[in-house]
Amino acid sequence: MRGTSSDGAPEPELGLELTQVGAYAVVAVTGEIDMYTVQKLREAVRQLIAEGKTRVAIDLTPTDFCDSSGLGLLIGARRRLADAGGALVVVCGNPRIRKLLDMTGLDKVLDVREAVPSE
Amino acid sequence: MSASKHDQRGEPAAVRFAFTPAAAYVRAARLVAADVASHAGVATGLLDEVRQAVGEACTRAILRHRDCGLDDLVRVEFSIGDRFIAKITDNAQDLRADSEGDHASSPHRNEARSNDHEAIEEDTLSEEITLIVLGGLVEDLVVTGPDREHGTTVTMSWPLPGRSPSADH
Repeated sequence: MRGTSSDGAPEPELGLELTQVGAYAVVAVTGEIDMYTVQKLREAVRQLIAEGKTRVAIDLTPTDFCDSSGLGLLIGARRRLADAGGALVVVCGNPRIRKLLDMTGLDKVLDVREAVPSE
Repeated sequence: MSASKHDQRGEPAAVRFAFTPAAAYVRAARLVAADVASHAGVATGLLDEVRQAVGEACTRAILRHRDCGLDDLVRVEFSIGDRFIAKITDNAQDLRADSEGDHASSPHRNEARSNDHEAIEEDTLSEEITLIVLGGLVEDLVVTGPDREHGTTVTMSWPLPGRSPSADH
């Protein structure tokens, strides 16, 4: 279950781990991405862009669940990063989420890979 | 919860609830859906699909209420008969059918996040994607409405092993 913050409000059940792999700032996402938790991931991408890190890899391999809110975020993040002169890579070795990307055709719009690019 | 009313397919609602259109409740709705489906006997391999689909339909309903500045409850109903049926109903009427155009210019529209253009833009994308996901995910999917007086209802069903498939459509 979700934890609660000091004011009693439920905390998003979403974990973000930020690392740097080669040229990419990698955001590994654990937990569930839905319309409640997606704001946390949106803020993380914003922060990276603000820091000038515009080559970003969002790693959905450890993600338990992702719905259309997460897919909407990926499309928005791709555009914002491209506008900033960078690029978004979606790392997804998770068959359920991969199926979602394929089903919606986003596998052809987004740069989806099995691993973070090494270059 | 109630079992007094029958749905359009003639099955009594086994579980019925409603929630305020807030993102925090989508998870609860999809977990209840998977649990009720499991108890109904939906195959284990389909439970993820039920969970995802009900979550998508609830997300869509919340976004539709948010677009119209509605605080009305989103209604969810599960019925168990020849098939497991999930119905998610919103109250967001057809804005284009409103000749006054009051809703479209409502001061409540996206009021809470009027300065977060990225979030609003991504929500709009998400609302469109929900139907794409539902269409790809659920074999038996019917979306009715909206019209001038009612919102939309997303009705989905999944087979129950050993039951007659006569309830199909």
